[in-house]
Amino acid sequence: MTQAEIKLCSLLLQEHFGEIVEKIGVHLIRTGSQPLRVIAHDTGTSLDQVKKALCVLIQHNLVIYQVHKRGVVEYEAQCSRVLRMLRYPRYIYTAKTLYSDTGELIVEELLLNGKMTMSAVVKKVADRLTETMEDGKTMDYAEVSNTFVRLADTHFVQRCPWVPATENSDPGPPPPAPILVISEKDMYLVPKLSLIGKGKRRRSSDEDAAGEPKAKRPKHSTDNKEPIPDDGIYWQANLDRFHQHFRDQAIVSAVANRMDQTSSEIVRTMLRMSEITTPSTAPFTQPLSSNEIFRSLPVGYNISKQVLDQYLTLLADDPLEFVGKSGDSGGGMYVINLHKALGSLATATLESVVQERFGSRCARIFRLVLQKKHLEQKQVEDFAMIPAKEAKDMLYKMLSGNFISLQEIPKTPDHAPSRTFYLYTVNILSAARMLLHRCYKSIANLIERRQFETKENKRLLEKSQRVEAIIASMQATGAEEAQLQEIEEMITAPERQQLETLKRNVNKLDASEIQVDETIFLLESYIESTMKRQ
Amino acid sequence: MAGNKGRGRAAYTFNIEAVGFGRGEKLPDVVLKPPPLFPDTDYKPVPLKAGEGEDYMLALKQELRETMKRMPYYMETPEEKQDIERYSKRYMKVYKEEWIPDWRRLPREMMPRKKCKKGPKSEKAKDTGKGASLANTADVLKKIEELEKRGDGEKSDEENEEKEGSKEKSKEGDEEEDDDAAEQEEYDEEEQEEENDYINSYFEDGDDFGADSDDNMDEATY
Repeated sequence: MTQAEIKLCSLLLQEHFGEIVEKIGVHLIRTGSQPLRVIAHDTGTSLDQVKKALCVLIQHNLVIYQVHKRGVVEYEAQCSRVLRMLRYPRYIYTAKTLYSDTGELIVEELLLNGKMTMSAVVKKVADRLTETMEDGKTMDYAEVSNTFVRLADTHFVQRCPWVPATENSDPGPPPPAPILVISEKDMYLVPKLSLIGKGKRRRSSDEDAAGEPKAKRPKHSTDNKEPIPDDGIYWQANLDRFHQHFRDQAIVSAVANRMDQTSSEIVRTMLRMSEITTPSTAPFTQPLSSNEIFRSLPVGYNISKQVLDQYLTLLADDPLEFVGKSGDSGGGMYVINLHKALGSLATATLESVVQERFGSRCARIFRLVLQKKHLEQKQVEDFAMIPAKEAKDMLYKMLSGNFISLQEIPKTPDHAPSRTFYLYTVNILSAARMLLHRCYKSIANLIERRQFETKENKRLLEKSQRVEAIIASMQATGAEEAQLQEIEEMITAPERQQLETLKRNVNKLDASEIQVDETIFLLESYIESTMKRQ
Repeated sequence: MAGNKGRGRAAYTFNIEAVGFGRGEKLPDVVLKPPPLFPDTDYKPVPLKAGEGEDYMLALKQELRETMKRMPYYMETPEEKQDIERYSKRYMKVYKEEWIPDWRRLPREMMPRKKCKKGPKSEKAKDTGKGASLANTADVLKKIEELEKRGDGEKSDEENEEKEGSKEKSKEGDEEEDDDAAEQEEYDEEEQEEENDYINSYFEDGDDFGADSDDNMDEATY
């Protein structure tokens, strides 16, 4: 793992789980697979804390364990999974757009807790939804269950590997760690539960008020004592499926930008039809006939068959090659070239970065070299129609930024420099990797800056929180306007300004993180797709 | 092997025209230090995307950050003892639900274990069953529930101390008693207790009575 990735993982773990978990997690990412005692010894933390931290990390699918010979259990961290924590808001928002609030909360609970049983999820989500509903209304468990089943059917949530039920006749001591198994066909099997109930609203007296010691809460003892019907069956969010959805979204919006709305709808239909038949890592989808596509178009679209055929031909002839024609039966068999599409998206990202960083003339040279594959210095000047001095300057700027590389072609076996061609070329894979690395660094910088800003103004933030809490409690007990005014004036005008600035900055930094993560997604998908094909 | 290193002017071994510099032209300066930490940018960055989706995701992100800090998975670092115990600290502690992992899915070495107590401390062992049952947190939970159900009144000293000790750590009587944390803290408490008859839990944090005024028994003990 590169240093940038490790730094970013460290920041993410620290923000979400605290310093102890961060220390253990980063140590594992750095050193690979290690047994428990070695971790404790190397990090200098007590065994108990290491155990707790590992439990947290395993619960969240960030660390896996393996039993090696002689019964030693080794733990390994999954760096790429840690980086996915950046994308949680996007996953939750996607669930909201597809399955509305219920789906959103289900995915949120699963992401926050790593793994949960279905009954636990349903109960929690019902409670949360009930809180937001009007007085007197409650959310029924059945509705939440239905949404959960739909999520499982479309593979957005999946079962975690489980402990196989062993026969009790197994002789000898129990193994040091359970071997978890998963079978493809059972991964989305929803247990038959009859969850009956409604969400409970938390009583307002139970809500926290700062500084109030809480009365003894009535125990949920009855719930704990009942046997959980689906004990041991845990569910987790299926991130790969979400990634597939993001990829489809990116392709559809690319087509919409390049052509028009109708063609993007056609592409969306084709992708939807291939969701289940094509594995997400395939280079292109299964061939679909034009007749099938016509039948599957959304109801609102009433374009004739001929128009559809024309659109498909246009799409297939487009130089971007998102859609390809693979045969003539059934009115024409069409496929979507997933790998090529990802490549085009990655290339477009690179072009855009060059343009914003170096200027539009540099971008012109970059696109030229991309198109012609290999060019000499002189040829670049001629084709781009840019004066020699500037062209040279720009080429070297891009070269030192590693967007462009030099390819040597020797004329003689001794590689003498005077008798060698030096050609400029763009290696998309390595440029994408370089850009990805830069993205990791950027996000790490953004997070650090945000933490710095927050720390600088910590005193002021705490003060404003206290004032808000006081105002809230006074409003609840019915206070006069004048008193509220007085409390509000505890924060002076320049302080208010400072708070405003802080809020704006933090929002900007957060929004930037989310956007950089979108670029990371595109580049990672492209690199993954390319590596799989090699 | 390069022959003549060139006394006097350096001569290029290749045609300098090929890389774009004219003959005799001044070459750019050699860079002798790493690039600056905050380089100037020629072009301003493009404004961020704005829209309903982006706003919602931003709000989600900030909420998630706050929520994660309150979850039981967030492990607080134990703070060093401050020189002055603030009175308000007692009331500003965040009360978290405790979380017990599913031990069936984890390696056996993950379960917290108590070291066996040796010597006089073992006599102070609260229950005889405690050593064995502590290996199984569920038993501890049941035991504490039983104890609390029994109510005030005739309790043996030991049970009282265990109950109060664990009550100390979770003052508001959370439904689920801690697993590791309480055991660890209870354990530490036992470790630290001196061999006397005073029950430590009678003195709460922040009261500096007990340490100083053993002689002066005028103050009431709680």
